[in-house]
Amino acid sequence: MLLLTLKRTFTSGFTHFRRNGWLSFAVISIISLTLLIISTLIVLSIAANLVIKSVQDKVDVSVYFKSDTEESRIMDFRATVLQYKEVKSADYVSKNQALDEFKAKNADNPVIMQSIDAIGDNPLNASVNIKAVTPDKYDIIATAVQNSAFKDDISRINYAKNKIVIERLNNVLSTTRNVGAMLATLFSLIAVLITFNAIRITIYAHRQEIEIMRLVGASNPYIRMPFIFEGIIYGVISAIVVMIFLFPLIKFVAPYLGGAVSVRDVQANFMHNLWLIFLVQLVTGVALGTISSLIAIRRYLKA
Amino acid sequence: MIEFRNVKKIYTGGINTIALDDISFVIEKEEFVSLVGHSGAGKSTLLKLLYAEEKPSSGEIYFNGEDISNLTPKQLPFYRRRIGTVFQDFKLLPRKTIFENVAFALEVSDHSDKEIHELVPQILEIVGLAHKLDSYPREISGGEQQRVAIARALVHRPPLIIADEPTGNLDPISSWGIIQLLLKINKLGTTVLLATHNKDIVNRVKKRVITLDQGKLIRDHSKGRYAI
Repeated sequence: MLLLTLKRTFTSGFTHFRRNGWLSFAVISIISLTLLIISTLIVLSIAANLVIKSVQDKVDVSVYFKSDTEESRIMDFRATVLQYKEVKSADYVSKNQALDEFKAKNADNPVIMQSIDAIGDNPLNASVNIKAVTPDKYDIIATAVQNSAFKDDISRINYAKNKIVIERLNNVLSTTRNVGAMLATLFSLIAVLITFNAIRITIYAHRQEIEIMRLVGASNPYIRMPFIFEGIIYGVISAIVVMIFLFPLIKFVAPYLGGAVSVRDVQANFMHNLWLIFLVQLVTGVALGTISSLIAIRRYLKA
Repeated sequence: MIEFRNVKKIYTGGINTIALDDISFVIEKEEFVSLVGHSGAGKSTLLKLLYAEEKPSSGEIYFNGEDISNLTPKQLPFYRRRIGTVFQDFKLLPRKTIFENVAFALEVSDHSDKEIHELVPQILEIVGLAHKLDSYPREISGGEQQRVAIARALVHRPPLIIADEPTGNLDPISSWGIIQLLLKINKLGTTVLLATHNKDIVNRVKKRVITLDQGKLIRDHSKGRYAI
């Protein structure tokens, strides 16, 4: 008996949905926009995190050694530094490497190239590039290095210059994160409320139908289920609509992040998680549709 | 079959309105009863109590020996399935076709699909609308809509049909058509309770008349005329 009821109420819900006309269109656009807002916020926060991460990766502290320092001494230094728990990596750049990199970077600048040839000797020093686990650790590392056993071998640490940048970066990061989270929560809440009220209004519009069904002797499942199924159908279709719009949106937004993150990365990330994103949309859409229908119809059931 | 025993109904909104004041009567099986009175006399309230949309403030109501004055929400749908209702505004489900509207009454009482596909066309044939199975209520006339409502009220063969001003929105000829349908149904064994303030119909029907005035039952004649 229960299966028969389920089949009948689903057919009823689906048929009613098809015959709703513009009302269906209105509700679906509302739910779709809601999902779009929530998705965009999620995508933006993921993008922001990507940007943050990649900028973090570019920040480092370089320790330059006096030109007469032995390579083995530098390697000892590197080994010591790698022991620090705040240090993620420490790369050794020899004098020659430094020169090669410098030449490569300035290959199209004839003045600089000529100057190097004129000097003859390698004017650059060997260095160790240290990357910290998180940007707020650079201070600790710099201080530790300055007070370490190797401090006499060090010619300079270019932390002081970067320090301001790094501090500013940390501030921006944490502010962005906090504000972003607050906004995301706020907008998601607003979006959910809007969807809930939209569905409540559609059920209000059908309140006479509900009354008629009660008069004919329908029990609550027979009255409720068609509306629940309608809610689910709205949710599913909205999820599909949002996915269709998300594609061009990502394509459009990606280049603007190009400065900090590669375009390909963003798109690849998106495509990779495609099914996951669709699943989240689907579940959210269906949950929104169902719960809203359930709550909205209660007033008319008198039971 | 139906018994009202000292039934009072008072509405307690801003002012206390006495809608029904000490109503008592008995209706036997297979009777055809016209319930008459001015607008506001209490006809609709009486019917609402009978199909349990409202509860009496005091007194009891019996249907086939059962006290239905205090039905629980769970019992209500099952009780309603034993009564067929017809209203002035037809009360058809707008998003369903004629066929689906009538079928709905059978669906909610868990009839099989096979039964539904047999019974619905039959009953629509009886009311003369078999050719409009797939039309929507908005596509047919008022008189036709009312006949669909009657078909829906009948299809699960209830022992009682309640009609609350069924001809209110219809022209005189359609109205008489509906009444004739109700008379025919009554002849076949269904009890009919018809509430109306249409004088002509009551006089032509020449059946028992219960008269209400300002909530009181003032007349109950077995071969009644419309006289207040």
